Order: sequence, then C-alpha cells, then structure tokens
Amino acid sequence: MKTITTLGMVTAVALSGMTVSAIADTSDKRIALSNNYAGNSWRQAMLGSWEKVTGEAVENGTVAAADAFTTAENQVTEQAAQIQNLILQGYDAIVVNAASPEGLNGAVKEACDAGVVVVSFDGIVTEPCAWRIAVDFKQMGKDEVLYLSDKLSEGGNLLEIRGLAGVFVDDEISAGIHEGVAETGKFEIVGSVHGNWAQDVSQKAVAGILPSLPDDIVGVVTQGGDGYGAAQAFKAAGRDIPVIVMGNRHDELSWWKEQKDASGYETMSVSIAPGVSTLAFWVAQQILDGADVPKDLTVPFLRIDQDNLEDNLANTEEGGVANVEYTLEDAQAVISGAS
Amino acid sequence: MNGLFSPRMLRSLLPPLSLAVLLIAIFYLQPRTMSYFGLNLLLNLAIPIALATIAQMFVLCVNELDLSIGGFVSLVACITATWLYDTPLLGIAALIGLVAVYAALGALIHLRNLPSIVVTLGMSFVWLGLAVLVLPTPGGKAPEYIRTLMTLKPPGIPFPIIASVVIAIVVHILLMRSAWGTVLRGAGGNPRSLERAGWSLLRIKMIMFALAGFFGVLSGMALVGLTTSADANIALRYTLLSIAGVILGGGEFVGGRVSPIGAVIGAVTLALAGSFLSFLRLNPDWQIGAQGAILIIVLALRILISRTEAKR
Amino acid sequence: MTKDAPVVVLNGVEKSFGAVQALRGVSLELWAGECLGLVGHNGAGKSTLMNVLSGNLVPDTGRIEVAGSDITDRLTPQNATRHGVRCVYQELSLCPNLSVAENARITHPSISGPGWRRRARALIGGMLDTVFPGHGISADDIVGDLSIAKRQMVEIARSFAVTTTEARVVILDEPTSSLDAVAATKLLSHVRRYVEAGGSCVLISHLLGEILETSDRIAVMRDGGVVELDDAEHFNRDSLVAAMGSVAEDARDSADRPVIRDSAPIVVEARPKAPDSLALAAHQGEVVGLAGLSGQGQTELIVDVFDHASGAQVEGSVALVAGDRQTDGVFPLWSIADNISVGSLQRFLRGILIDQTQARDFADEWRQRIGIRTPDVDDPILSLSGGNQQKALFARALGSSAEIIVMDDPMRGVDVGTKQEVYGMIRDEAAQGRTFLWYTTEMDELRNCDHVYVFREGGIVADLPRAEMTEERVLHASFRADA
Repeated sequence: MKTITTLGMVTAVALSGMTVSAIADTSDKRIALSNNYAGNSWRQAMLGSWEKVTGEAVENGTVAAADAFTTAENQVTEQAAQIQNLILQGYDAIVVNAASPEGLNGAVKEACDAGVVVVSFDGIVTEPCAWRIAVDFKQMGKDEVLYLSDKLSEGGNLLEIRGLAGVFVDDEISAGIHEGVAETGKFEIVGSVHGNWAQDVSQKAVAGILPSLPDDIVGVVTQGGDGYGAAQAFKAAGRDIPVIVMGNRHDELSWWKEQKDASGYETMSVSIAPGVSTLAFWVAQQILDGADVPKDLTVPFLRIDQDNLEDNLANTEEGGVANVEYTLEDAQAVISGAS
Repeated sequence: MNGLFSPRMLRSLLPPLSLAVLLIAIFYLQPRTMSYFGLNLLLNLAIPIALATIAQMFVLCVNELDLSIGGFVSLVACITATWLYDTPLLGIAALIGLVAVYAALGALIHLRNLPSIVVTLGMSFVWLGLAVLVLPTPGGKAPEYIRTLMTLKPPGIPFPIIASVVIAIVVHILLMRSAWGTVLRGAGGNPRSLERAGWSLLRIKMIMFALAGFFGVLSGMALVGLTTSADANIALRYTLLSIAGVILGGGEFVGGRVSPIGAVIGAVTLALAGSFLSFLRLNPDWQIGAQGAILIIVLALRILISRTEAKR
Repeated sequence: MTKDAPVVVLNGVEKSFGAVQALRGVSLELWAGECLGLVGHNGAGKSTLMNVLSGNLVPDTGRIEVAGSDITDRLTPQNATRHGVRCVYQELSLCPNLSVAENARITHPSISGPGWRRRARALIGGMLDTVFPGHGISADDIVGDLSIAKRQMVEIARSFAVTTTEARVVILDEPTSSLDAVAATKLLSHVRRYVEAGGSCVLISHLLGEILETSDRIAVMRDGGVVELDDAEHFNRDSLVAAMGSVAEDARDSADRPVIRDSAPIVVEARPKAPDSLALAAHQGEVVGLAGLSGQGQTELIVDVFDHASGAQVEGSVALVAGDRQTDGVFPLWSIADNISVGSLQRFLRGILIDQTQARDFADEWRQRIGIRTPDVDDPILSLSGGNQQKALFARALGSSAEIIVMDDPMRGVDVGTKQEVYGMIRDEAAQGRTFLWYTTEMDELRNCDHVYVFREGGIVADLPRAEMTEERVLHASFRADA
C-alpha cells in the first residue's frame, strides 16, 4: 500500500521492467467521461487535463474516442440518465465522477450488465461491479507526520490546522495525522484550529491561538489551502516560522519558493491532482486492454518536494492549483501496486 | 369542424406527434436505441418522472400548483431506501402519513384560501429537511420487490413502455372516464357551479391532493427501484419537469383541462429530450437552454393551433 | 291545472347589501302549472329575488316554503335543488372543460356507476331533443368548444331534465338573451308544454313580448318590491313599461344648467360596431350618460374610448373608474395612498425613483377633498368600506391629469350618501372643463348627465338631450319595439 500512496511522481526507473505492449488492441474502443459538475477551478483543471491527455491518446490511435460529458444541473437523476445514454451511444467504458455515491448505482449496474466498463474516481460509486479510484485521505495525513519525523528527528510540538468541521475528509486527514503522531512517538499536538481549507480563515484562526501556545512549535500539519495563511500568522506574531506542510495552491507554492530562495526553507506539499481524471482514463484503457485490475485503487498524491518545487510552480497558473497529468505507465504502476 | 385536421384534433395530436418526432430523431442519431435493451435504457428513468407528472396533474386540475413535488419525491425515496427496507411497517405507515399530509395541505389551501404556490414552496423546504433527517448521507437500499419490479424484463415489450401505458390508462379511467373523476375535473372548470350542485369543494381538493401525494409516493418508490439507493436531493428537478410535462401533454394551468395520457407522453418527451440533446453531443452549457427551446417550440405550436381555432 | 296549494310561497322577504335595500318585503306565490313572468328595470331586485329562491342568497327576514315545507333556515342551493327548484343562471354554470354529458352528471348525482356515461348522454340528449329539436349538439362535445347559444341550450336542457330529483320549479333568468329567435321560440313553447304538464316556471326577461306571450301571470318589480301582479292578459307593453318606471317626475333642477353642446368642442366621437347604431359624441365639459339595460355594449364602448381604439376619436388623455372594484379597480394589498397615487406616478418621479412623501401628500390631499373616511391613508385599502374604496378609485382618476374620465357603472353597491357626494364632485369637475362618459344602470344617475345615449344589443338606439330625457323614454328605448 505504502508504495502506491507515496508514489508521487512515478519515475521511469520504476517502470522499466513493465511491458507497455497491449494484450488486446484498444484502438477501436471508445471511452466516455460522465462528469456531474464543472463549476470550480479544480473541476475545470480536471476537464482540461482529460482533454489534453485523451486528445493525444486518440491522436496516437490508442483509443478511438474519449469524450467528456458534464451534466448541467449537478443532479443525480440527470447523471443517471446521462450514463444510460452513454451506454446507448455504445461506449465501451465510462469514467464517472459521480454526483452521489449511491444514487447512480442503478445506472452503473445497467452499464455493467451491458458489458460497459465503469471506472469511478473522486466522486466514487459504491456499486460493486464498478472500479473505484479513491483518495486515501488518512494516508495523506499520516504522510505529513512521517515527512516531519524524517526531517525533525528530535520531534517536538505540532500545531494542527484542520478543514471544515463535520466533513468526512477533515475527519479522515486528521485521523491520519494523529495515527502518525502515535506511531512515531516523538511529536505532541499542542493546538488545533479549523482553517476551513481557506487562506484567510486559517490566518485568523492561527493568529488567535498562537499566544496560548509554547514558543517551540517545530511543525504545522495542514490539510491544504491553509499553509500560506498559517505562515502569515506566524510572521505577524514575530515568531520563528516552523516547518509548515503546504497544499497545492499557487499562493502556498509561491510563498514556499520565496522562503526557499531567501533562507533555504524546507518543507513538502501533498494534495490530490485534478489530473486524476487522466489516471482513471488510463485505468479504463487498461481494463479494456484485458489487464487484470483490482476493483479498488488508490489515487497517488501529488507530492511536491524541495527539488521539484520550481517545476510544479511553473506549471501552476496564478490563482490555480498544482496539477499533474498521468501517463499509461503511472496507471500500470498503480494497478500493479494494488494487486 | 370534426375533420381529422380540425384544430381540436391537431391540438390533441400534438403531444404524441412531438414524441414520435423526437423518437424518430433519436432512432436516427443512435440506431442502438431501436432495440428492446435500448428502449429499456432510454425510457426507464421516465417512469418516476411520469408518476410525478401525474401527481402534478391532479393538483393542476383543481387550478393549484405544486412546487414541492420534487422535494416530496426525494423524501419518499429516502424513506423507501431506509425505513421501508429496514422496518417495512414503519415505512408503510410513514408513506400513508405523507399522503394524509398532502390531503391536509389541500384542505388548508382551500379553507384558508391560500395561494398554493406559497404553501407548496414552503413545504418543499420541509420535505427536503425531513429527507436529510431520514437519510443524512446518501445511501440506503431499495427493497428487493421494488428493485425486481423496476428491472423486470418482460418478453417482447420493454417494461418502461408497459408501465407508462398502464399508468396512463389507469389514471385516464379514474379521472376521465369515471363518474367520480368527472366531478373532480368539474371542480377545475367551474367550482361555483359544482358547489351549487351540492358537491363539497373541500372534499374534492383533499381528494385531489391526496391523489397527488399517492402518485408522488409511487414516483419516489419507482425512482429508488431504479437507482437502488437514495439521496436527499435525488428528485429536486422533478418539480419543474412535472409542471412542464403536464403542460407539454396538453394540460393547462387553469380550467381543469388536463389529460393523463398527455401528461405521461409529456413526461416521456421531456426525458427523451435530454437523451436527444446528449446524442447530439451538444455542449452541456447549452443543454438546459435547448431543452427549454424544445418546450417553447411545442407550446408555440399549440398556441398557433388554438389561434386558428379561435379564428373560425 | 291544480290550484289547491301553491308550490312556492315567498312571504315578506327582505334583503339588503350594506345600505342598499335590494328586496323590501316581497310576497309571492307560485302555483303548479303556471308560468310567472317577472319584469323590472335594472336593479329592481328580480335577480336577487331569484337568488334567494334558488338558495344562493339568504334573506334577512321573511319565509320561504317549497312544496309545503319551510326551507328558510336551510337555504342552500343543494337544498333548493333537493326540493325541486332549478335555476338557469344568467352567467352560465356549466363546466367548460367537461363534455355535455359530463355536465349533466354534475347536477344529477344519481347518474353514476357502470354505464353512467350512456345514461347521462341519453338524459341530456333526450332533453335537448325535446326542448330544442334539431339543436346539432352532441352529448360528447366539450362545452368550452360550443357557441354561447349552444351552451345556453345545454344549461336549459340540464335544468329541465329529471332524474331522482324532480324539477318542480324552473327559474329562467334571461334565458333567451343569447339564443337566436328560432331557438327562443322553441324554448318558450317548451315552457308552455312543461307548465301545462303541471310544472311551474319563473321567467325573467327584458323582452316584454315573450313575457306577455308565455306567462300566465306577470309580476312587475321596482325598487326591491313587487308593484303590480296580475294575469298576463291584463297587461300590454305600454302598461308594463309604465309600471316599471315612474312617469311623472321630470321637472327638476336640471333645467337650470346651461347647454354646453352648442358651444364646446367635441372631444370624443365613437360609434359602436353594431349595425344601424347611432354615433356618440361628447363635448368638452359634458357629462354624457350611457344608459340601457346592463351588458348592451356600454362597457365595450368605454374600453374602446379608454384604449383610443380605432373607431373612437378621442382628444386628450383618458382615465377610467372601474365598476368591478375587486377585479378591475383596487390593488388589494396596497395602501390607500398607493391606490390613489398610482394613477399619477409620472408626476412624482425623481429620476427613476418615486418621491414617496410627495405621493403620500397628494393622496392625503385627495382624501380630504373627496372625503374618504379613514384616519390614515397608509392603511390598507381593504380597511375601507366599499363606498370609500370606490371614492379612492374616483380620487385616482380625478387626481390624474386626464381630460376625459370614463366610468364603468362605478356606483354599484355604493351607499346613497356617498353617491350624492360623488355626483357633486363630478359636476364640479365637469364645470372646470373635464369630460365624463358615464355608464350607469340607475335612472337617478342619468339625471346628472347633460346628454344620454341609450344602448340596446350592442348599438346606440336613442340619443336624448337632457331636456328630452325621461325615464319612460329611456325604458322604451331599452326594450325592443317589436318585442
């Protein structure tokens, strides 16, 4: 499990032993993307990546078509009808980002019964016949602590910035962080605030709790979107800036870059890349190709480290999020890691 | 006046004709749909919409409007996927209770002379709130018998077609052919005359709203049978779809002029319009607009026919 | 004819609407096997009386017996129907969305169960064949698709049809108003047949000929009371008209008002669309009355003038005072001030916004001038009595800058005191050069007019200057000469 989740950017070396040749030819296969919503920057980046990667794949003759469909009203019944239409249109595989984990099961079952491969990602479906590419948020939290444990061998006090209270993702990441703290045994979480995954909220929340915290905070564990705000709060309080784990937003990465250039500041960033849609595409292609793929796969995190910061920052638009598009090889690595 | 192409005839033929045109276009665009399997997929999600449209039709028939039917169907779906599955008795009691609440709404609207738009708009939030309480996160499970019924594969004719025809005919007999249904429809045409003839308008409104509630319950159950599980927001778009379906099927907002057969045809047409646009590969941003355009075209045709009729 | 006991007894029936006394102690008996003709001018109380008998209105005092049982305390349409009283209403009571046969089912609850449709068809079809042979109506026709005349036939046939409840008394309120001459003759001969078979009928009509021909007895109503009641053969057309109006009251104050017509310019010229109609002309500063029975084309002409429609030449802007307050007049949710100032909003514009203070002051000024009885113009309009609501509508029209004011029977249901105040105001405004077109169904109001046009069947049939205007002449013109 760990090999996948910490995979990050998969290197070509790791794949050298794999055969890229297909068992069955997928050049006449058609794959559709059924997407429920396109109204934020993450979803826009997701659709952009899909278009870019699948466009090349179609051009190279890997698949015959890879069309994206988005429902207009983000409604369950609407997407169910959309999936049924895609079946009728004769697609061989449907990649789904679902409006509801349960509400589409009927339509997904219809697709499976019709011999259509269904791969869900991000918004996954629970119907057993479909493949799921899920995010292991718990592992994401744990990875942060493991990184800090490597970097700060003597341990110390941590500040935790959580997300939106009551949301499943927040609970999962936090649980992972606490698990990591317990396992490594050298950290203590001395304070915890809710930053709602937003820069301004985090800054206010951290500024509010700082006076009550000990001076020797060595690290800040975060959930993404909150790193820049935390840094600003520490700076405003006149404190030494600890190791703040970053998310994938442009403001976080550019602040990190400034600090790195100025003082050699070191940290890391974990997040889910919107380009995960392309991973789902390749997984679907692999299934059509006859590969033996387990039903449950896990999304690799987009991990940015000290040495690839510049590359990622260059690829991130102002106000956007860091992204990565996956390749066939990445998909094969994820599959083999899970089997 | 009574010829085949009299405006009156044309007006009643418009809904089936629009459906036929749409079907032919879909068959042309996507020949795969012209099969048992294809029709099944194309039409199965139209069943709950047709049932919700029938529910809306009962309300429209007495010159009221139900803006809460979408939320109501969602709530029924949530109850069906939870209570009806886990504790059938509680589930049945809750669903019967919901029908009774609908009848009470009819009574309230009649007695207090409240605008039904306001009352049902308010109720739509109540239904949604209850649905979230019953099923806070998407899930639940469809009772096996409903699932079996909705995935029935009868020989020869796809189930959605059989279901639509049965719904249309049963309601047609109930409302259009029976002596009892005649009185119910009369209440939409001339309530004062009905009252003079000794019928209780209060009772008629309650019956009509109860019927709307009953078909709303059927719609929610059918929907869960298709999706296998529920979501508090699952059927919100049914409110507008059902109103559009009744109107598309030849019904009118006032005057008790409705047609159950037309309503089912209207609902199926709307469901197919979505598929048609999707087969056209139209940009999703334009799809809602295009769906509206189809509606406007059909209604404009109807007005055109009515105008020629008025000129005679 | 069995004349041992009356079928219907009305004894001292009184009914008032606010200050208006519509029925002043009416006593009538209706016998089996007779047709009673009921005539009277607008507002004489005919329709009110029949609404009481058919259970739609509950009388303030008095007693009503049908077939020997006193039903005064249980007076509902249903109960009246149960006792065999049927009524053909002036405004039809069919459901337009149902078929002819289905409409028969609505008033005949006993038609139900399997095969009901066949029985309903047979019932209504048979009765239509009996009353109007050759009617050309199918029992499956949708009523909304039928012409007004055919609807009227269906309504009449339905009222004569007998199922488990008998049709002892059939009230026909202006049944021939929308029928052509042939169908009307058929109906009247059916009424005779029905009466001779022992039924009772009340016939209300403004066509005096058919009343004289069809009735056994005739009751003449005036001002909410029965003024004459006698066998039909004792009346003729002139004696009926004479009984309806009071002939001897002409010399009044009107003579002292100068005649404007000779000097002032014409501001409105219009001609109703009916063939052979006279033209209407209104000169500046005149109060022009539109008379005649109700619904003879007066409202249509007023709307044409208001719309500046083709066929009406109108010099100047027009304001309307609506007659039907509830549907055409007040904005029920608005305050009194808003209801008054909405006619003159243009005047209070500050850029694109409305100067609320100025609008309110304007309304308050008119409240005082016109005497609207309210402590505060910010109160909701519905807090006012009907008469005061009507005053607010007058204030809206008079407060506007319109030179011509058209009024669609605005005094319906307004008390006498208010009426007098408004008459005075109209005279004052006219003296200042405003022109009024005033449709009214009340003879008293015509006396306030400088010139009167009498309408009949959509056209103008008489053009009466004030000096020649008498109640008798108006009545004579209102009823067709050949009838």
